[in-house]
Amino acid sequence: MNETSGVSKFIENVKSLADSVTGSIFRGGKPDTDKARASVVYNNFFMHIQSVKTHVNTLRPSYTLGLGLIVFFLFAFVFTSGIFLMVYYNPSIENAFRSVKNINHVVFAGKVIRNVHKWTGEGMIVFLFLHMARVFFTGSYKSGREFNWLVGIVLLILTFMLNLSGYLLPWDQLSYWAMVIVSNIMMSPKELTDSLGITKFLDVGTMTTDFVFAGLTPGKEALNRVYLFHVMLFPIAISIFVGIHFWRIRKDGGMTRPEEFTPKDSDKSYAPMSDKVGGIFPTHKTYGLMELATGKTRAVDRDVENTVMSWPNLLIAELAVLMFTLAFALIYSYYVDAPLKEMANPLIPENPAKAPWYFLGLQELLSYSAFMGGVGLPTAALIGLALIPYLDREQDKVGVWFTNKMGKRIALESFIISIICIIGMLVFAIKFGWLRSWFPDIPQLVITIVNPGSIWVAFMILWSLFTIKRTGSTRMGAMALFVMFLVSYVILTYFATEMRGPNWGFYWSKSQWPIH
Amino acid sequence: MHSRFYLSVMLISALFVMAYLGLTGYHALMPEWKQYQAEFKDTLVKNAKSEAAKKKAMAMPLGFTQVYLSDLKREDRCVNCHAGEDNPLMATAKLPFKQHSGNYLVNHPIDKYGCTVCHEGQSFATNKKEAHGLGHEQTHWDHPLLPLKYAQSACVQCHDIAMLSKNGGEKVAQGEALFKEKGCRGCHKVDGVGGDLGKALDGVGYQPIAYFPMKHVAGEHTVYNWLKQHFDDPRAIVPESAMKVKLTPEEVDLLTTYVLSFRPDEAPRKYRRIDYTSMMAKPDGETLYKMYCVACHADGTKSLYNEVFKRTVPAITNPSFLKTIDDKNLEAIIKEGRTGTQMTAWNKTASGLSDEQVSGLIGYLASKRPAGPMETFGLAAFKGDSKHGSEIYEARCSVCHGKEGKAGEDYLGISLRSPVIQKKIDPEMLAVTIANGRAQTPMPAFVKDTELLTKQDVADVVSFIKEIPVAGK
Repeated sequence: MNETSGVSKFIENVKSLADSVTGSIFRGGKPDTDKARASVVYNNFFMHIQSVKTHVNTLRPSYTLGLGLIVFFLFAFVFTSGIFLMVYYNPSIENAFRSVKNINHVVFAGKVIRNVHKWTGEGMIVFLFLHMARVFFTGSYKSGREFNWLVGIVLLILTFMLNLSGYLLPWDQLSYWAMVIVSNIMMSPKELTDSLGITKFLDVGTMTTDFVFAGLTPGKEALNRVYLFHVMLFPIAISIFVGIHFWRIRKDGGMTRPEEFTPKDSDKSYAPMSDKVGGIFPTHKTYGLMELATGKTRAVDRDVENTVMSWPNLLIAELAVLMFTLAFALIYSYYVDAPLKEMANPLIPENPAKAPWYFLGLQELLSYSAFMGGVGLPTAALIGLALIPYLDREQDKVGVWFTNKMGKRIALESFIISIICIIGMLVFAIKFGWLRSWFPDIPQLVITIVNPGSIWVAFMILWSLFTIKRTGSTRMGAMALFVMFLVSYVILTYFATEMRGPNWGFYWSKSQWPIH
Repeated sequence: MHSRFYLSVMLISALFVMAYLGLTGYHALMPEWKQYQAEFKDTLVKNAKSEAAKKKAMAMPLGFTQVYLSDLKREDRCVNCHAGEDNPLMATAKLPFKQHSGNYLVNHPIDKYGCTVCHEGQSFATNKKEAHGLGHEQTHWDHPLLPLKYAQSACVQCHDIAMLSKNGGEKVAQGEALFKEKGCRGCHKVDGVGGDLGKALDGVGYQPIAYFPMKHVAGEHTVYNWLKQHFDDPRAIVPESAMKVKLTPEEVDLLTTYVLSFRPDEAPRKYRRIDYTSMMAKPDGETLYKMYCVACHADGTKSLYNEVFKRTVPAITNPSFLKTIDDKNLEAIIKEGRTGTQMTAWNKTASGLSDEQVSGLIGYLASKRPAGPMETFGLAAFKGDSKHGSEIYEARCSVCHGKEGKAGEDYLGISLRSPVIQKKIDPEMLAVTIANGRAQTPMPAFVKDTELLTKQDVADVVSFIKEIPVAGK
């Protein structure tokens, strides 16, 4: 046989190893033509979830602000750093605290990685709200995207749960007493069942608390369960729902954009403009699937004007957001340490014991009525958020920030009114107390129904209905409601974080707290 | 690449990412302790006396070490920086490389005892701030590094005071003696024995910082600072405190050292070297008097007005008092206490004091009683008229003892409603006291020398007093 040619073939293969490996990954080689650029996207498992071409509007940083992507990347960082921490963490009450101490002190770069895990996790909540606000104010929950808004709400809940379940794990004073508060929140349906006298038959509060914490206060079983939720259930659920969320973006026709879109000069700095005109799928062309499918997909009749190749224009934008998020997370985690107090001690209550900050708004409402704060109002808020796209079905001006001039005015107006009203409500409740302080013998059911929290929610709903009547537009009503929801979440959270001290009393700042 | 905006965002962010990854990596590779170790190695090389020692020093690897103490449930990482603790060459080196002072390490090798078992601090930590654990607001560590002057408090975990007093634990032993001498147990229980005016002190030296009201503590919020400043001036730290102390600064430190040794948990069996027989020694009457009585009664020869109690504390070793009261009445008062006053009931259930110890105390008091017969009145010879007695009481007695014997704050006299006076005390003794007064107290004599009342009057008053309703405890 021809040995020399065999060896030389082998040497040739070695020489071209780099190229052939790259070629096997990126089939089609270096993308020099639009066709090749297209195939890079749809031939790649990770990229095919994006469309081949991207609208210029999507690439404008002022439209999406990259918020959704930021949340996704934060999740990726949480996931990665979480796997690292999982290696060193031990979910038992004897060792949990020690293992976290060891992560801080002995594990290579452990402290920064723990900080990254903590801050990116909580950052998810912040940016998720910002992302939701962006989607709302640009009207992006409309025209076929209603279901994806629902998926987003599910992701919001799951993100809360993911954060919350992680809060218990260090088993320090902070996490332990926060969990006691959370178990109290879970017990809150008892207030309603008690006043209705049905606790004997249906004790929802005790059942849920028992299921999650294996008892009514967090203990060793609770740590095990919450740990499983934290590292298995919630991450898997989030991954699945993120998949659905992304997939629906594609199926719903990509990001929203205004009907009349005119590129600006500044767009050229984000992406080169294409001169090509005409639909991607012109209506006169037929496709085999026409026989099966009814209706039309979002892309039909859409022009390719103002779209550019996703490779490299979208990719570079995404990479920029990734790097930006990573830099931000790293810098923040380098300077700010995740808290770790004394080891959990059920004998020394923290006063005030506070829930994690993102639940402090609820804890404030909880101080008026356990059921309303713990179950009633959050459920109402979630249902309200979920129903927004179904109750507001106006389809014009999708993709425009605040819809129009009136929208801006309504948003500003609701912003100011809600700030005034909610601060007024808090001042009233602190200064004059509530029904219980005036009529000590009043039935609890009355307070459950009539308390500052429920009055505030009723006011929001009425105000939003009033706005609909005034403007003749459901979108404006939704706008008023959503602004008020955001404002109350922020103000209540801030108020309960900074101005509530021992025994949930009011203090202007922490420096005024009486020291135990 | 086309988009300048995104490209520049990406590149600038990437620069930051690399910079901070670099910084993180640097701190991970070169933590604080490693820098100390490197400095230690340099010192070692410089101080080396022989060529061989120098070579050995130069070969010393830098690396993480810890003393793992499975029985004591801790891993001490102090030695990463305090690397010269058992190295004689480092006797004069600066901290943290200095050799351990004294000969403590001879019997307490680091690999068996570690460091924090005596010195406290955070054994997990690997940087100075958190290892020393000071600054509770930031470090959240309940047992920060103990100042050396208090370090002997740790010895008591494994050794008895008798042994310590002669073998390097002098300070804590002196503190223990002072604790007895000052009568701390007159108000505070330890191991279930003591008065009930103050808090029980079991485990108090090792309690979490959260248990102490730190608001008025100056400087670091630590348990030892709380104790020290509390001994200096109790009401400066706890405004409502009724504690009475008068201590020199040295005594304050000794007492602080001793009280810090009160711990909730015992050291593991194999570490303990306690000779329990030395603790079995029975204290004599005088010692008992110091332990339980001296805090309020002082030496007992004079009655004292107590500013905090706002009442007069009787002179109980006063001969004129002892001449009027026999051992049986003494026992009744000691065991039942004085309701409505700060006097604790020193019986087994309330104070933990055994009957034997109470008799020891009575024995000590009786030894102060002057020779000769007891003062007597002979009450049996009279028949009291309580109505007439009540008139005399209103006129003569209620000024100090209050209406119907209900004395209290701002009254000089004691309450006559106490169950002891009503039930346990012999009426004869009451009569003697009224007739002869109580020397060195505000109680005047109404018959002896003064003739303010007749003996019949006294008998009438006694029968009135016996009719006053008893105050419930």
